[in-house]
Amino acid sequence: MSMHVPNGRWVVWLSFLVAMLFQIMPLPNIVEAWRPDWILLVMIYWVMALPHRYNILSAWILGVLLDILLGAHLGIRALSMSLVIYVVVLNFQRLRTFPMWQQALVIACLVCLHHLVVFWVEFVVDVASFDVSLFLPAVSSLIIWPWVFWVLRRVRRIYKVR
Amino acid sequence: MKPIFARGISNQFRLTLAIILSVMLLVANDRLEPVRQSISSILSPLQYIANIPGVLLDWSAESLATRNMLAKQNKELLRQQLLMSERLQRFEHLRQENDRLRSLLGSPVHMDAKKVVAEVMEVASDPYRHYVVLNHGARSGVFVGQPVVDAHGVVGQVVEISELTSRVLLISDATHAIPVRVTRNDVRLMVQGTGEIDELELRHVAKSTDLRVGDLLVSSGLGKRFPEGYPVARIISVDNDDGQSYATVTAQPLAALDRIRYLLLLWPDGNAALSSVELGKPDAAAVEVTP
Repeated sequence: MSMHVPNGRWVVWLSFLVAMLFQIMPLPNIVEAWRPDWILLVMIYWVMALPHRYNILSAWILGVLLDILLGAHLGIRALSMSLVIYVVVLNFQRLRTFPMWQQALVIACLVCLHHLVVFWVEFVVDVASFDVSLFLPAVSSLIIWPWVFWVLRRVRRIYKVR
Repeated sequence: MKPIFARGISNQFRLTLAIILSVMLLVANDRLEPVRQSISSILSPLQYIANIPGVLLDWSAESLATRNMLAKQNKELLRQQLLMSERLQRFEHLRQENDRLRSLLGSPVHMDAKKVVAEVMEVASDPYRHYVVLNHGARSGVFVGQPVVDAHGVVGQVVEISELTSRVLLISDATHAIPVRVTRNDVRLMVQGTGEIDELELRHVAKSTDLRVGDLLVSSGLGKRFPEGYPVARIISVDNDDGQSYATVTAQPLAALDRIRYLLLLWPDGNAALSSVELGKPDAAAVEVTP
């Protein structure tokens, strides 16, 4: 595997594309509420790994694209993802040194924050009713995070993304 | 190989910029419809790809069906078709009679609308809204505000289009309202969505209004968006609470909104004459159905 691309930017955007597919993929109704926030997880990984390259504004762009794909009010997910990624950028060094379970817990909290901000803005601009199932994705993200981390780290090493 | 990266702008600045841009988008949302349409046209292949697993599942379910199951289904469909065609014969007679009466009264004769069958693409949407995505877009002539019905009743209206897909707002969404009338006594009402998939609400109903549980509500055509006469909902509860200034009336949508698969897009008055000519029988039910 010597795909020697200077910085492997396309790999990162490809991973975003795949995450976006997972994000809108149909799921059976029972697990629909448990859908992990793939895009947010992948974004958090790349920000942790390459904070000088993937940053708040790339998160903003992904948020806008996600809003368009989901048919939501423009700017909702852009806002919440930028906020979450800001927190990650401020603490990326600390996050990197955490053991995996601790990292996953922090990420679950960030996913909660993301959903709270989304709910809050939806509530302000449109009508939205609060439901505790809002936090289910945080649980599934907590479980899925170690695997996402492992896969993306392998991808980063194989394609020498810098 | 790491490029020399100058830390030009601080994270705080980036965050502020992102927040300002987001708020601008939130405020200007309605004016950005063309931009959204073109970007979602670019992104629609993604939706088609995401839809593939569902299509594969359907396909495998169909191709793995046993002969017995198919025979059973076939029998059932034949039975249904017989019933339907019997009803259609009566309907045809009534329609002609209705047209004659209408022409006697001097009121315009109803034209049949052009219809196209669309399939619901199984892609996720904003969890706070009730949307479905259809596999027809601007290229098939779909327009914003277009009424959508299924076999049982009104489903909703198109709110957003791209080249290849369109997004339908269901009548159960909390921002959706549709003018209806009661078939029993022609009382005119508005039915609003509640955000619950199987519950609709009738707003501002005076307590003296003659409504009963089981009344059928059909679209009244007054909003000029939905054609007249399509069934919308059935009243499931009427509550005259003395503490409230209006009666609390809830209804259940007739279309099975949580498991819709195939829908009909209607073109209310455009092309009606055209499609009837195409079918070669100018006064028969001019229904253009493309699968």
